[in-house]
Formats: sequence, structure tokens, C-alpha cells
Amino acid sequence: MRSNGMIFRMSSAFLKGLPQALVVTLGLSSLSAVPAHADLLGDVKQRGTLVVGTEARFPPFEFVKDGKIVGYSSDMMEHIMKELPNVQFKQLDLPWQGILPGLAAKRFDYVITSVTATKERYNAYHLSVPIADATVAALKRKGDASVTKEADLAGKVAGSQTGSGQLQALEGVAARLKEAGTPVGSIRTYVDFGEAYADLASGRLSVVVNSLPNLLEAVRQRPEAFEVVPLTSVPKTYFSWAGRKDAESATLNAFFDEQIRRLHKDGTLAELQKKWFGGVMDTPADALPVPTE
Amino acid sequence: MIEILLSNHSVLLSGAAVTVFLSVIAICIGGVLGLIVAFGLRSRVLAVRLWCGLYRSFWRGTPILVQLLIAFYLLPHIGVEVSPFMAALISLSLNTAAFQAEIYRAGLAEIPHGEVEAARMLGIREWSIRARIQVPQMYRLVMPPLINETIIIIKNSSLVSVIAVTELMRRSQQIASSTFKPLETYLLAGLIYMAINLVLAYIGRRIEKRLAISGGRA
Repeated sequence: MRSNGMIFRMSSAFLKGLPQALVVTLGLSSLSAVPAHADLLGDVKQRGTLVVGTEARFPPFEFVKDGKIVGYSSDMMEHIMKELPNVQFKQLDLPWQGILPGLAAKRFDYVITSVTATKERYNAYHLSVPIADATVAALKRKGDASVTKEADLAGKVAGSQTGSGQLQALEGVAARLKEAGTPVGSIRTYVDFGEAYADLASGRLSVVVNSLPNLLEAVRQRPEAFEVVPLTSVPKTYFSWAGRKDAESATLNAFFDEQIRRLHKDGTLAELQKKWFGGVMDTPADALPVPTE
Repeated sequence: MIEILLSNHSVLLSGAAVTVFLSVIAICIGGVLGLIVAFGLRSRVLAVRLWCGLYRSFWRGTPILVQLLIAFYLLPHIGVEVSPFMAALISLSLNTAAFQAEIYRAGLAEIPHGEVEAARMLGIREWSIRARIQVPQMYRLVMPPLINETIIIIKNSSLVSVIAVTELMRRSQQIASSTFKPLETYLLAGLIYMAINLVLAYIGRRIEKRLAISGGRA
């Protein structure tokens, strides 16, 4: 999977510039048949389908059970889709590295997957009102006495997901440890957190850095294998959903923000958090605080 | 592993069905296209030969992952709306067409030229020569590499999960991340791929045997 990830990263980087380059060089822009919409929400209602992108490998937020995508965000969507009668909900499952590029390439209308709110993403996409706490922690092998606090990451091999907000948080920790003169051994990146957990279990990694709710789920599923270590220096971050930042998407973005606010106010969100995370999270109800990192 | 199989067998089966369905259709479409390209590569017209050569070089010379991403992200950009499944089918078909063209070209080259000349002397039309003399004999020769190509496409189809087609590989990834048992899950997926390919190889051998009998038909 790691070599696959490499190819993927290379080709997605290559592809990022490719459409524009081709469109410009071949003069294809005039041929483009994509009509200019003014209102994406109206469009969704008119065509009767809402297409969203999801990385269904992120338990307990979004994952697959018995062939169906379930989890915290699926439960939220069940409440939200009631506000869009006669609209079919179409959810595409693809690797995380394809989610935001796919949104930008208009392969789907919206992203219903846990997107860590980072400064870069905040500038490039419309991030929704927070849906959950995304603050990161570290996961270690159970009983590994060499890692008990953040400073113990010095000299160790740590892993996280390619292109993720969690990786960015890990890099922040590494930078601070380097300043303190005790740098992290190395950082490895993975296409999916599943592979990182596997490498942790097999001993190739000392810790995996991911958001706390995900790590707690890993411990819940495999209590004999894993244990959580808190990271004290990391800033508080949130999970959002994401839409495009263009004018036509504004109506759909506003619709989702309003719906999340509604679920927050009527207590549904707290109820779902108890169901999926075992406790209620402290997240702002009105708007996403501007991310600092 | 048995536990994962028992609790997820219907999901894995649906994934395997998508894998087989997608690959078999791609092989068939690619077979027709490949035959056209193979004759194109042997054409007397230079322009046809060049175009077919260019086609073959592109689809044979670029990674299948890049081809998939191009079909998925680039086609909508130029106004062609395709579903993830269609994008996967298009790339796999066009990809295997290039490889099958080379297989067919090699097969056609093996048929004694005297047969074609004799047929021309007898006044048999070019299309009939191709359809009744060259192609049937060629299929007898190319069965082993053709089965090989089918198996390769089945395995390559595991890449289409990157463009949101939920086939066997994606199904196993989903199971691996919700059970946190990747080792067992991927081993199981590997065994299922092998089982599919063993069945294909068996069917291929049967067809080969039938064709080995003079005048025999698959």
C-alpha cells in the first residue's frame, strides 16, 4: 500500500495541473459543455440527486458495515436529508487523497467526510460549521513503556495519513521537538490510517497520530493491541464538511451550515456524539473559528 | 480470517461481482477494439498505421492509475459526464485494447501468408479472408496470452477503487478499517482474487483444448 500511495501522490500532483494545461493548450475551454449554474442547491433539487464524496474508512465518523456507509456523519445526514424531500442521496466512496481534488473538479457537490479544519483548507474551500472535535493524540502499542508523553516521541518513528490535517499536526509536534533539541526519528505517511495502525501493530511505527475520537475507536475495537497517549502541545482543531468556494456553491454551503446549526441547537448532535463517541464534545455551534495552523 | 469471511461474505461477494463484471466487459470491448487496432497496425496505409501505433503507445506506455485518474477527472472538465463505473470501464477497455492489439498482431503474423494469397487467387474478398481465414486461426494461436491478459485486467481492476468504484479491493479496505484487522482481510482478498483467476485459467484451458481439435469451436 505504501508504494501505491507513492504512485498516487505522484499522479495526483501531475493531474492537478493537467486539466488546466490541457484546456489551455488545446483551446478546449470553448468546447466545455458544463453549463454555468447560479445556484447549486436549486440545481440539486431540480435534478433530484445530491452527490457527495466520502472516505468511508474513518470509523466511527464514516465507515462501512454490512456493505453500507454508516457512522456519525451518516446519522447526521439522515436528519438533514429530511429537509430535501425528493432528493436522492448519492455517496461516492474514494480514498482521502481524491476527496478535495474531486470536489474541486466538480465530481461531487459537497464533501460529507471528516475534514480537519486547517488554515490552508479554510482559504481554499468553504468549511462548514464544526461537526466534531478533531484535536489529535497518539496511539501506541499496548504496554509500550517507552512512550508515555509527548516528549517521548523524540527519536521514534511516527506515522499519519498522507495529505491529512493530522499529519500537519504531527509535523507541528515534530517541529517543536526539534526546537527543543530532541527531534522525532522520522515521519511515515500512509494512504489510509488502517495501514498505519497495521504498521504500528507490527512494530514498524512507535506511534500513529490521528484525531482522538478515531483513536478511541481503534482502542475500543482492539483493546489488546493499542493504547492512547495524549499530545499536550497541539492546538484544538475541529472536523468540518466542505464545499467549493465559488458563487454557485454558496446556497448549498449555507444550507449545510444552517442544518448543522439546527442539529446542534435541538440536541441531536449531542445525542449522536454520545452514541458514536461515548460522550458529548465541546464544539462551537455558530461558526468555525478561523484555524491558526 | 474465517471470522471476517463469515461476517462479511455478502459484501465481499458483491465486491467480487463488480470486479468480475467490470473486467469481463472491459476484456470484451477491448477485444473488439484490439482486433481493429491489430489490423490497423498491419494496414498498407501509412496514416492508419501511425494512428494505431500512437494509440497503442499511449495506452501501453502510461500507468493504468494515471489513465483512470484522467478518465475520472479530465472528462468532466471537457464536458463529458461519466459515472465512476463508466470512467473505470472506459480506461480499462482502452488499456486492454492496446495490449490485445499486440497479442492479435503477433497471432496474425503467425498465419502463413500463402493462405491469404491463395484465398485472393480464388477471388475471396478481403473481409471474408479476415473473418473466415485469419481471425479464426489467430484465436487458436493467441488463447494462452489472451487468458494471461484477462488475468492481468482482473488484477489491475483493483486500482479502480481510487475513482470511487467499490469493487473487491475497496470492499476489503472498508472491512479492514472497520475491523482494524488489515492482515487477515487482505490475505482473504488475495485468496478471492486467486480463486477468480484459477477459474478463468481453467475455462481458458478448456477453450484451448476445444480449439486444438481441427475445426473445433469454442
